[in-house]
Amino acid sequence: MQNKLSRRDFLKAGGLTLLGAVGANAISHAASDSGTGNSKVLAAPAMQHDDHDGVMPNTVGEVDHEKNGFNPTDILTDFDYGEVSTLPNGQTLREYEIVALNKNIEVVPGIEYPAWTYNGRIPGPTIRATEGDHIRIHFSNGSNHPHTMHFHGFHPGAMDGIPGSGPGGNVLPGESFVYEFDADPFGLHLYHCHSFPLARHIAKGLYGAFIVDPKVGRPPVDHEFIMVMSGFDVDFDDANDFYGVNAIPFHFQNHPIQIKVGETVRIYLVNILEFDLINSFHLHANFFQYYPTGTSLIPSEFTDTIIQGQAQRGILEFTYRYPGMYMFHAHVTEFAELGWNGMFEVTQ
Amino acid sequence: MTQQPTKPTRFTFKTLVLLLIPIILLVGVIVLFLSTGGGLDLQSAAPVEELSIERYTLERNEIELHVRNTGPDEINVAQVVINEAIMPFTITPNTNIPRLGRALIHINYPWTYGEAYAINIFTSNAIGFGVEIPVAFETPQPSAATFWGFTLIGLYVGVIPVFLGIFWFPALRTLGRRTMTFLMAATAGLLIFLGLDTLAEALEFAAEVPSAFQGIGLIGIGAVATFLLLDAISKRQTEITGGESERRLAIALMIAIGIGFHNLGEGLAIGAAYNVGEIALGTFLVVGFIIQNITEGLGIIAPVLRDRPSIGRLALMGLIGGAPAIIGAWIGGYTPSPFLAVLFLAIGTGAIFEVVYEIAKLIQKDAVRESTPMTVFSGVVTGMLLLWVTGLLIK
Repeated sequence: MQNKLSRRDFLKAGGLTLLGAVGANAISHAASDSGTGNSKVLAAPAMQHDDHDGVMPNTVGEVDHEKNGFNPTDILTDFDYGEVSTLPNGQTLREYEIVALNKNIEVVPGIEYPAWTYNGRIPGPTIRATEGDHIRIHFSNGSNHPHTMHFHGFHPGAMDGIPGSGPGGNVLPGESFVYEFDADPFGLHLYHCHSFPLARHIAKGLYGAFIVDPKVGRPPVDHEFIMVMSGFDVDFDDANDFYGVNAIPFHFQNHPIQIKVGETVRIYLVNILEFDLINSFHLHANFFQYYPTGTSLIPSEFTDTIIQGQAQRGILEFTYRYPGMYMFHAHVTEFAELGWNGMFEVTQ
Repeated sequence: MTQQPTKPTRFTFKTLVLLLIPIILLVGVIVLFLSTGGGLDLQSAAPVEELSIERYTLERNEIELHVRNTGPDEINVAQVVINEAIMPFTITPNTNIPRLGRALIHINYPWTYGEAYAINIFTSNAIGFGVEIPVAFETPQPSAATFWGFTLIGLYVGVIPVFLGIFWFPALRTLGRRTMTFLMAATAGLLIFLGLDTLAEALEFAAEVPSAFQGIGLIGIGAVATFLLLDAISKRQTEITGGESERRLAIALMIAIGIGFHNLGEGLAIGAAYNVGEIALGTFLVVGFIIQNITEGLGIIAPVLRDRPSIGRLALMGLIGGAPAIIGAWIGGYTPSPFLAVLFLAIGTGAIFEVVYEIAKLIQKDAVRESTPMTVFSGVVTGMLLLWVTGLLIK
């Protein structure tokens, strides 16, 4: 569609000046003809189109959650505490079975993306433990690429899940490895694959949240939600085509999260978005207490918008005063219109 | 002595069978290939898809995309993204578009006058096909006003310059034979330049034609067929009438037709350009254009300078040469189609080069009486330079 200069261009130019004049004339006539009953139409510039009420970005259709094997709404409250037992030393042991799988996920209606997943879902299971618990992850690789699990938190080098750190740093297809460490420090963390090429391994879906509750616990709230912000580069040009929370674009715009006036809400927010430098979260008609990385019980900020770089995360706490529909979305508005947009439906 | 009997060429059953055998074998080979893959691994890692956005139209708060599947397999349209926003859309008749099938995508979108939009259509295989709207404005609907607007453009770029050129007729009649030969040669030069330009335009449009329609091949068909058809018509005419002046008039008419196709192509381009909003400014360019296209009128009258064609005839030839610009503007403005543009421009190319060939024959005839090689040389070069130099003014 770029300019093709040719002998014809100048005649386009000249001719169009003429036609433009004729056309503009005609349109202004049309406007004054049709606008007799509406002075607003006459007042507006003849070619200005700004009456776009009700038009909102959205996908067409609904993804097949059943076939995908997960529903973003269910993921909100799906905290995996693992198989719990007590070690001889009295320490609580939490054991998890996690398998890396190639899986086609319908990331937006009509488009299946050849994703790589932990346990067949994006994000992977939200692993939740209490500070000081012993975590044992039985990781097996059921895909045809080497994968790992790299946790954020304190752990020995051999448990870091990066190439060069021993058998846990390169789990080959069909093989398995047990990652073992103590849940420490308390806060909101994450895990992801650390195999080369790293950006691709993360972008294809190998990530999840890792919550370590403080021993004293956090104050009780009415709702706790996990939200993992990510995107999908479906045409493999190292730029995201779609964005969302808990994987599926516009899911919470089309399926608002139900809460009530006065209820306390706590959101565990993780950003694992590849390719873009930052992501953000903005809450409408409200302010929230923000606990970066969740490593302190004292909030650092009372705000309505926060920014997170990749792997940054934090905890948000808020309450709605009035009933209504309230948006929450990336205030990187491009991301919002490409899927990272949701709604709280607040009722009495 | 035995005489060799000439075999009667009869179409027998045996001939039929012999003709059919290779076809039957061909079918067998194709079936074999399709069932076995011919020993080749033809599984491609990614599906091969091609979606041509043939046209877009803008209406108040609405964008419509006319798309055609020009790939080898069917395509499913999954999502549409406009300027980095996923937009709801409707598609008729179906999201599933068969090979060479067409569909209309409708999007409610609050576009703003004068701004640019990039649209990306994602198929179910996550392959994106983009179209750019460089300058958004309401697509002209057939109305009295736009109809007259396109007509006016056609008049300015086609009809008026051609007629202005024809007005030289009385003055040029008084010139000597050698000067007339020079003018004829100059006309040939003009036409060669125009022919190359038309061909270049055709090639440019061919790039926009969906690959399945083989734009370059289409140019070949249009140009060669037109050349040979006009050649055949001209030869038949010579056989029937044989008159020298009749013949010159016929050539003038053919020049008019060739230039007419050229101007039709220009009209198409103007209309299409208007549709996509390629609006550059500068009325002086129109002036330059009129100057350049006056030469087209000159070309039409050059062969008949020594005759006395009626004013009606001259007017008719002027119309044939110039008026197609109007028709082209209408077609290009209301239903722009690169396919049609390529076809018309190819016909124009063929017609123009055939006319050059006819003029060459005329000059050859004159040369029998008086050889003027340098006149021909300088004439042709002058004609080509004339368009090149006037072109410099307006690029």
